Amino acid sequence: MRRGLMAWDEQELPRAALETRLALLREAVQAIGCDGFVAYTNIAKGAAVAWLSGFQPYWNEGLFYVPATGTPLFATALSKRVAEWIGSVMPIGQVQTTPKPALLIAQHIAQTGGKRIAILELDDFPAGHAKTFLENIPGVELVDGTAAFAKARAHVDAAERGLLAHADRLAEMGLAAIDAKASTAQQALAPCDEHARLGGAEECFATVVPDLQTSGRFQRTDTAGALGQNFAVRSSLAYKASWVRRTRSFTRDASLAPRFAAADKLLASFQPPAEGSLAQAIAGHFTGSDLRVESWLAEQPAGSSPLSGVATSAGSEENWQRQAPFVLNIELSLNGTRWLGARLVG
Amino acid sequence: MATTTHPARLKALAASMAAENTDVLVLFGNNWHADHLRYATDFGIQEGQGIALVRADGATTLILDDPAEAERARAEAAIGDILYAPSLVKEARQLLTREGNRQIGAAPFHLLPYGLLNGEKDLRVNDGTKVIERLLMTKLEVEMDAVRRAAKLADEGYAIFRDAARPGRKDYELVAEIETFFRAKGVPENFMIIGVGGQEVRGMAPPGGKVLKPGDMVTTELTPCVDGYYAQICRTLVVGEANEAQKQAFAVYLEAMEAGIAAVASGVTAAQVAKAENDVFRKFGLGDYVTSEYTRVRGHGMGLFPDQKPQILEDVQIPLETGMTIIVHPNTYHPAVGYLVLGDSLIVRDQGHELLCGTPRQLFSVQ
Repeated sequence: MRRGLMAWDEQELPRAALETRLALLREAVQAIGCDGFVAYTNIAKGAAVAWLSGFQPYWNEGLFYVPATGTPLFATALSKRVAEWIGSVMPIGQVQTTPKPALLIAQHIAQTGGKRIAILELDDFPAGHAKTFLENIPGVELVDGTAAFAKARAHVDAAERGLLAHADRLAEMGLAAIDAKASTAQQALAPCDEHARLGGAEECFATVVPDLQTSGRFQRTDTAGALGQNFAVRSSLAYKASWVRRTRSFTRDASLAPRFAAADKLLASFQPPAEGSLAQAIAGHFTGSDLRVESWLAEQPAGSSPLSGVATSAGSEENWQRQAPFVLNIELSLNGTRWLGARLVG
Repeated sequence: MATTTHPARLKALAASMAAENTDVLVLFGNNWHADHLRYATDFGIQEGQGIALVRADGATTLILDDPAEAERARAEAAIGDILYAPSLVKEARQLLTREGNRQIGAAPFHLLPYGLLNGEKDLRVNDGTKVIERLLMTKLEVEMDAVRRAAKLADEGYAIFRDAARPGRKDYELVAEIETFFRAKGVPENFMIIGVGGQEVRGMAPPGGKVLKPGDMVTTELTPCVDGYYAQICRTLVVGEANEAQKQAFAVYLEAMEAGIAAVASGVTAAQVAKAENDVFRKFGLGDYVTSEYTRVRGHGMGLFPDQKPQILEDVQIPLETGMTIIVHPNTYHPAVGYLVLGDSLIVRDQGHELLCGTPRQLFSVQ
C-alpha cells in the first residue's frame, strides 16, 4: 500500500496542466466516436488515473469516468470517512465513495445517455466491473480505449518532468545513504527506504542483488540475507504518483571500486539520442576496453502501468517515446564482473 | 526460497481443488490483492499483475506482466515455472486453451481480467471462490505462527512509533521511522494509515505533511507482513497530556474493544462481535457513531490479505471458526475528540481466543 507522503501541491501540479491533459484525452476519445472514457485504478495500476486527476489511491480501487463534456466522476470503494481526504489530494473531478464503484459509474453513464464507452485496457479491466456496465447501461458498447489514451499520454508537460526529477532525487538520496560495508540486505535496504521516505516519497520498493558474482536478480528484505563482496540495490520510488527507478552497484573490493565509479559516471552522462535508435546510442556510449553491455531495458509509463518496458536489448523500440523521460536499466560486464545501474534519462 | 507455510498450503489447496472437482485453478493478483497468488506460489507481487495456473497435480505456472517482477520471482518464488508476458491475458488464455476440456475455476472472480472471460467460446472459466476462500480465512497451524510473529513485530513497531511521535515532527517522518525499522527486521510490506489532530479528524489516511503539535491525538494502525501474513495493532496517543474529554472517550473505546474480544469464540458470528462492541457505544449515547457514516468496520479478518473476510459488522452472519485470525477494533469518530482507534489481533479458538498483541491498552501520552 502507499503509506508515504500523499498531498497535492498546486505549484507542482497545476490544475491547468490537468485540464490540458483531460482536453487531449477528450479529443482522442471523440476521434474514435466514443461518448466517454473509463480508467480503472488501484495501487498497482494507477498511472492513468493519476496522470488525469493527480490522484493515486493508497489502497482499494476506483473508476475514473471522463464524459465528452462536463465534470469527470471518480467512484471509489474507499470508505466515506476518507472522502474528504480524497477531495484534498484530487484537484479535479467529483468524488463519490461507494462499495460498488462500477455500479455508480454505470448508473451515471446510463442517466447521461452514454452508449459507446472507451475503456482503458479493456482486456485487463476487472470482469466484475465489465459485467456491471453491460447489465446496467442499456445498449452499451464497450470499446478498447488504450490507443486513444496513449495518444493523449504522449504529451509530457513541465509538471510531469518536475515530479519525475524530484522522485529521481529522492531515489538518489536513498541510495546515497547505503553503506558499501553493509553486510546484510536489511542493513542496506533500511536506510535506502528511510531517506527516500523522509524526503517525501509516496512509496519506495527497495530491493537488492545480494551477490553480483552469483546472480543479477533482485530480492526483497524478507528473502535476501548476507551480502557478497559486490551487491546492487534498486530503489523503485514514487513521488506524488510519478515513478522512477535507480540502481547502484556497491563493492567492498578496493581494486574494483574505481571501475564501479567509472561505470556510475558513464551512466550519469548518458543522454537520450535526438535521432537514431536507442540501441545504437547505448552501444555508442557504454564503451571501453574492459566493458561490455550485457543487457538493457528502457521503461516509461504506459496506460495504467507506472513503468512499463518499452525497449530492450532483446526486442524492438517501437513503444519507446523519444521525447519523454525514461528509466534506463543496464547490466554491464566490467572485465567479467557484473555491474547493474539504472537512472532517469531525459 | 519457500517459506515454512507454503508446502502445507499447497497440500490444503490440492485437497480443496479435489473436493470442488476443479482441474485447474486460475489465481489473479497484484500488489493490492496479492493473497491468492501468494497462497499458491509464495510470491509477494509488488508491481504489475500476475496470474497463477494451479493444476490438480500441483504443477503451477506463474505469469507476470512486469519483467523485473518475473526476474525477482525466479529468485524468490517457490515454483519453477515462471513466465514473463507483457500481455498477461493473451498468455493465460493460450495456456488455458492447451489444458483442453477441463474444469477451470478462477479467483478472485470479480477482479479477473475481462479478456480472460470474454474470449473464445470453448474456454469456460467458472467462479473458483469456493476452492480458496475458506483456506484464506481459516489458518493452518503454521500460518497462525506467521501471524503471531507479525503481531510481535506490530507491537515492536508501535513502540518505535511512540518514540518517533513528538511535537514538530511531520506525520510522514513517523512513517519513515516505522518503515526503516520494518525493513531492518526483514518486513517487506506494512499496511499503515495515520490521523493527526483533534475534533476535526474524521478518519485515518496516508500522511499529508501535518506537523504534530501539543494536544493532537495521533492515531495509527500498523500491519506488518511476515512470510506474507499480516497482523495489525491500532492505538491512539496524545501529544502532551490527555485532557478529560480524551480520557473519557478512550474509556468507551476500551470497554467496547474488550466487550468485542470477550465475545469472540468459535461459532459466534461476526455480527455478534460487532454488536458487543456497538452496544457499548449505544450505552453511552454514541450509537450514531457506529454507522457507516462514521466508521467502516468494527474489525476484520487478516492473513495473506490485511483486510479479509469476515468483516466484523452487525449484518455479517459469517460464523467465526477456530483458526481464523482477526482484529477487533471499534475505531470510529467521537464527537468530542475526533477519530480514535484501539484494536488488538487475535486467533479464534474453540472456547474463546488467543490474544496476539501485547502493547498496553491505554491512551498513550508523549512529550
